[in-house]
Amino acid sequence: MSITDWFVLVITLLFIVLYGMWKSRNTKNIDGFLLADKKLPWYHVGLSVMATQASAITFLSLPGQAYSDGLRFVQFYFGLPLAMVVLCITFIPVFRKLNVYTAYEYLEKRFDLKTRSLTAFLFLLQRGLSTGISIYAPAIVLSSILNLNISYTTLFTGGIVILYTVYGGTKAVSYTQLLQMSIIFAGLFIAAYMMVHLLPADVGFIDALHIAGKMGKMNVIDTHFDLNNRYNIWSGIIGGFFLQLSYFGTDQSQVGRYLTGKSVTQSRLGLVMNGLVKIPMQFLILLIGVLVFTFYQFHQPPLFFNKVETERIVNSSYKQDYNNLEKDYHQLNEQKQQHVNELVNAIHKNNDAEINSSRIQLQTDNKESAKIRKAAIDLISTNNKAADVNDTNYIFLSFVMRYLPEGVIGLLVAIIFLASMGSIASGFNSLASATVVDFYKRLINPHASSRNYLYVSRIATVCWGLFCIAVGLYASKLGNLIEAVNILGSLFYGTILGIFCVAFYLKKVGGTAVFYAALISEAFIFFAWLTDLTAFLWLNVIGCLLVMMTSLLLQKVLPLRITIDETK
Amino acid sequence: MEEDKPPIMKSWNNVYLLVIAVLVMLMIFFYFITKYFE
Repeated sequence: MSITDWFVLVITLLFIVLYGMWKSRNTKNIDGFLLADKKLPWYHVGLSVMATQASAITFLSLPGQAYSDGLRFVQFYFGLPLAMVVLCITFIPVFRKLNVYTAYEYLEKRFDLKTRSLTAFLFLLQRGLSTGISIYAPAIVLSSILNLNISYTTLFTGGIVILYTVYGGTKAVSYTQLLQMSIIFAGLFIAAYMMVHLLPADVGFIDALHIAGKMGKMNVIDTHFDLNNRYNIWSGIIGGFFLQLSYFGTDQSQVGRYLTGKSVTQSRLGLVMNGLVKIPMQFLILLIGVLVFTFYQFHQPPLFFNKVETERIVNSSYKQDYNNLEKDYHQLNEQKQQHVNELVNAIHKNNDAEINSSRIQLQTDNKESAKIRKAAIDLISTNNKAADVNDTNYIFLSFVMRYLPEGVIGLLVAIIFLASMGSIASGFNSLASATVVDFYKRLINPHASSRNYLYVSRIATVCWGLFCIAVGLYASKLGNLIEAVNILGSLFYGTILGIFCVAFYLKKVGGTAVFYAALISEAFIFFAWLTDLTAFLWLNVIGCLLVMMTSLLLQKVLPLRITIDETK
Repeated sequence: MEEDKPPIMKSWNNVYLLVIAVLVMLMIFFYFITKYFE
């Protein structure tokens, strides 16, 4: 990176962290630390909710996902607006009325202590692991720019977020997120504009989409129902709805955000804003990935996008083999560029026969490219068994560093950091909230002073921060990060959502029945995942329905004395 | 009791209908994009 880029990066990060710390300087009690004194307006809530979900993974993995798999991933978010509506109708009024700090407090009021503790424990496990993965993503950026070991950069990124989250709590998190999202939106539009600007002079935006479409990258909607297909309209609406409902309704990192609204109306409007803006935003990020794909039809892409692994192989005994593959790859790409030019001419002439002919040639070229890439990946893997052979997360970053002008690189790297900091900070804050409110305050020290709870909240933030950093150090083994996070969420969210659905909608079911139903459901979900029974999004639906049905059944068969006591 | 009325629209149900209508329009838009560029 140039000095200008470093200047833009450092100033942006410094300004936002200091702004967040300054705005949260009056945090003196647990209400301020965990709920920002419930004083935030709707746009603050909405942007904070979006910033929590949009991690660095979103900006690193999504363009890479679109580059290799097209736009169909956007279907994953189709259930989100529907989930926002259900949350506004059911969850927000209940949480606000009971004046809770965490979503799990409600479960003790509705069921019993063991159900609250089990749910909070499942949350801590899932969120702790997910936040660890979120720390790893921006560490890739630093590692690639500074040529440092990812372990050091993971420690550095996690450390910065611990610092300001411990200082300002939820207030620091929310105020930094407000600015973060504004800069992110601006940066995305600049990136999209630059991408179109870098295409050849005779290739406009629509031509770029035509080229991508002819190679199967504009496949936004897939209406074919298939339980084993990860992304189609049905898994997106049904599976996505359950996943998003569970994430926003039962994950403290999100519940903690909209509980900061100054009224029910402000909290609801924040979620409505998220429901309206999220899908277009994700579509835009994916579209950037598709434009990167089109760009590389006219330019030589690297054989492997991860610079660290590439340098490792060219400094090994496999150097000659790798160089030969690179030579073949470049020759093939030159031939491909000729076919792409033919396709562009055919599109301009609107000649279907020529378009089809070029498309078939390009499909053959792409198959050959894939073979050469596979050979290169095998070589990297043979050279180093522990090598990171999935380069999806590096595709966008590699493009930014090679082709974007000075200043814009710094801004985009800052965006990746900011997005990451927003979600990591919410993660730390929610982990501390659940630990202090659901375990420390409830089970260990119920009558301590507010000052004591604030102190313990800060200690808990540090401890969870260190745990997440440790997880981040192992995250490189998980492949595409955005999928890893969503798969991990799907292993727990269905069960947690099931518990909340029973609480809200099955009034006759008591704590013991739902507790055992949750254990059975969680065991089945792990079995289904390990045996690859279905695509991961469906695990959310299965987990939720299994808890609801099993708890109804258990309520009927459990000894009468237990159920009567509980439902009194 | 908190004032719980949405701005501009008369009731929250209208707001929820708007959210669902936007979702449906987006899906139709994406469907045409898929068909147009394939």
